[in-house]
Amino acid sequence: MRETPRTRLVLTLLVLTAFTLITLDYRAGKGSPFEHVRRSADAVLGPIEGAVAAAVRPVADAFARLGGGGGGAKVRQLEKENADLRAQVERGAADRSRLTELEKLTGLAGVGRLRIVAANVVGVGGSGGFEWTATIDVGSRDGVQPLMSVISGDGLVGRVKTVGPRSSTVLLAMDPQSQVGARVATTGFIGWVRGGGSGPMTFTLLDAHAALKQGQQLVTFGSENDRPYIPEIPIGTITKVESTPGAQTRTALVEPFTKFTALDPVAVVIAAPRDIPRDSLLPAPPPKPTPTAPASPPPATTGPSAGPSPGATKPGG
Amino acid sequence: MRPLRVLLFAVLAVTALLLQVSVFGLLPLPQARPDVLLVVVVGCALVSGPMGGSVIGFAIGLLADVAPPADHTLGRWALVYALVGYAAGMLEDLEERSVLASMAVVAVATAAAVAVYATLGAMVGDQRVTTAVLSHNLPFMVLYDVVLAPFVLPLIAAIDRRLQPEGGLP
Repeated sequence: MRETPRTRLVLTLLVLTAFTLITLDYRAGKGSPFEHVRRSADAVLGPIEGAVAAAVRPVADAFARLGGGGGGAKVRQLEKENADLRAQVERGAADRSRLTELEKLTGLAGVGRLRIVAANVVGVGGSGGFEWTATIDVGSRDGVQPLMSVISGDGLVGRVKTVGPRSSTVLLAMDPQSQVGARVATTGFIGWVRGGGSGPMTFTLLDAHAALKQGQQLVTFGSENDRPYIPEIPIGTITKVESTPGAQTRTALVEPFTKFTALDPVAVVIAAPRDIPRDSLLPAPPPKPTPTAPASPPPATTGPSAGPSPGATKPGG
Repeated sequence: MRPLRVLLFAVLAVTALLLQVSVFGLLPLPQARPDVLLVVVVGCALVSGPMGGSVIGFAIGLLADVAPPADHTLGRWALVYALVGYAAGMLEDLEERSVLASMAVVAVATAAAVAVYATLGAMVGDQRVTTAVLSHNLPFMVLYDVVLAPFVLPLIAAIDRRLQPEGGLP
């Protein structure tokens, strides 16, 4: 079929339809007439993404641990012989690193006396690479509501944007649309942290004369009624203070505590106490960021623990 | 034959979406991520022509607009992919395309799609679309898509040939 007046007509109609959709959705904003379309898509595709992610997770974990690097050229036969063994070790190690992450998460929630729902990240991004959003495998049936804070064992992940029955969409703190009220630990100066997409996050200090130093840590300031952000969640460390002479505000680059490239597991904060002690959730030695020790080499023999899927981690409410 | 074709393309579209969001999305790929859906749109357009290409592109774009974790104005990818499908469909007659040629088509399509999407974003005031993000992401996305092309395009061509065993022009 070649280009004919008919094909041109079809294209014109499609383009006009798309423009209509964009206009309607954009003008309506929150009360969009397409909200229920999105919600149905969440309800149908969320669980499917969950199933696919569960199958992919061991591979993704292994990749994350290897830092994405592959081995060099090896002898075929040796590789074959090692394949089984290595798979077992990898899976054991991946399970262990997951367990460590979960322990950190429950540790953080315990110190802050937060009520959380643990979740797995089952989808990230979308087309184009502009959006830093994630699908998680808990939804309204697990008590998740829009505008709840999402944390990892290391700190802030983002906030819940839309909620389906069994899945939710999270706006990650690194998304350029994300703005989080922040407080500098110990000094108490306030400002806000904006995501930078693939670039670094930026912290804008409201007081241009306040002291700001490299290495200072940031925590969330907290929103009214804890939505979207509860107070005291660790955000990150200041890596570089930008000199902006004459400006009304000061800005600095921020290295987040949460590793957004390996986002698993996370938790949604269902409820938080009124009085989380100041700076109590920050990593142990406040002046320096905690040195992340490299994972100890796995023991030579790992039991036949290859079977259980690491996906079944959902301690409810 | 028509309904079967539609069904197969639908399955293909959902598979591509899951591959994009739940497989490539979770792998810690450096710098950027491939746009699997776009490669599928190009593949379908190359076997369907401008009419089929634009319709399939529109449908796949709508899927990308509503599927979680999408968070943007509905219709943006639908518009972009419809245009890409139409343009790629015009190249349908280039029978016996070489692998290099189809990779070039995918490269141009990716660059054009992201550019149009970004322009639409600027029109609706999308804070995410900045020249910094564009210049950072685009080269890597083109690269990833070009790498995907030799796997995806022949697969779609094979499915299409299965559906039309008599061969020849429709």
